[in-house]
Amino acid sequence: MQSLVALSASSSFRSAGIRSFASSAARAQAVPTEKPVLSKEFKIYRWNPDEPATKPTLQSYTIDLNQCGPMILDALIKIKNEIDPTLTFRRSCREGICGSCAMNINGQNTLACLCRIDRETPKDTKIYPLPSLYVVKDLVPDLTLFYKQYKSIEPYLKNDNPPADREFLQSPEDRRKLDGMYECILCACCSSSCPSYWWNQDEYLGPATLMAAYRWMADSRDTYTAQRREKMQNTMSMYRCHTIFNCSRTCPKGLNPAQAIAKMKLELASE
Amino acid sequence: MSSAIVARSAFNNRLATTFARRSLRPLSQQVIARYASSETAYVPGGPIYRGTVNDPTTFPPPNRSHGSHHWAFERLLCAALVPLTGAAFVVSGSAYPVLDGLLGVSLVMHSHIGFDGLLVDYVHPRKFPTIGPISTWALRATTVAVLVGVYQFNTNDVAGLTEFIAKVWAA
Repeated sequence: MQSLVALSASSSFRSAGIRSFASSAARAQAVPTEKPVLSKEFKIYRWNPDEPATKPTLQSYTIDLNQCGPMILDALIKIKNEIDPTLTFRRSCREGICGSCAMNINGQNTLACLCRIDRETPKDTKIYPLPSLYVVKDLVPDLTLFYKQYKSIEPYLKNDNPPADREFLQSPEDRRKLDGMYECILCACCSSSCPSYWWNQDEYLGPATLMAAYRWMADSRDTYTAQRREKMQNTMSMYRCHTIFNCSRTCPKGLNPAQAIAKMKLELASE
Repeated sequence: MSSAIVARSAFNNRLATTFARRSLRPLSQQVIARYASSETAYVPGGPIYRGTVNDPTTFPPPNRSHGSHHWAFERLLCAALVPLTGAAFVVSGSAYPVLDGLLGVSLVMHSHIGFDGLLVDYVHPRKFPTIGPISTWALRATTVAVLVGVYQFNTNDVAGLTEFIAKVWAA
């Protein structure tokens, strides 16, 4: 038995050895192919809080796309590593789940890590911070108000009579009502794309917060639905939504905040 | 050098008295004073927030006539205008003066709500303490004047709104 194992092991070693020899021979003969330089210009919004009197400018960087990853975030990291270490932006997960790298790329609010670099057109790519928010530095917006608003809708389960001996149970149908809402990563792409939020962001909650509010209204385990609805009964908090649909159009996660707000309006009107 | 020290000690004294005076006030008042001081006064839509960064934003007092009832009324009015306008096209307005009057009133109300939405969006009194209320009351006055005008027009002039539009259309 032992010899059988040894035999099979040695045979597999041999086959691996043959393959590696063969490939190394081919590699020795191959001429390394040099990819052509594919230059792309990136124009990036720059503003330094240490020089507040200097107006914000668009700074131009040109990089070789064949020496760069496929996404805008790869280009930004390459620029920061190799050209200009003072370029400031938020990034964390590089896979569209943290929402840190939300910015305005070619006029569209999206996540830099999910946005491909346009290799076909020779036009430059313009990158701005999220619109209508105060800028901390370069591509970093101030999200304080956004988080304060998110906190105001109490984004957690509220239930005065939790089951004593086990977890909350929920039917698959009730669970399905939360699909398309619980996935929100709070990147603020939708809120900062909403014209109504641009004008009235101190009073109007904005699509991201409103969808989060409806996510807890729609939850069958939450017993504070009436109180949550009562909060929206005023001119500013929700009814500044004029169904412009910029939120659903721009959402990098493919969610539909406009639909959640429409459902909330309908439930408030028919209660 | 000595003058600088004197100046500094005077400054320290002033600082100490300020602190002493401040600590005499109750704590809650101090907190309010910190947030509502002239340097950190709340600016609508401005960079200064109400409270600390950890305080949630607040909601206005709930009022259904500003909330769901307003929205439902506006939507129903919009939906009702479609058949009303269609009916006014089909039948003669002078034969059905109620229809003519209803169309006149609901059209004016519809435009009032629309213009009011514009004013709330763009010239809200919290941002425009002078122009805001002026434009709101100007809109109300205009709406009343238009309602009176439509009433006069329907009762005294060329036999109603629909008839008039039909005449202009034909002319």
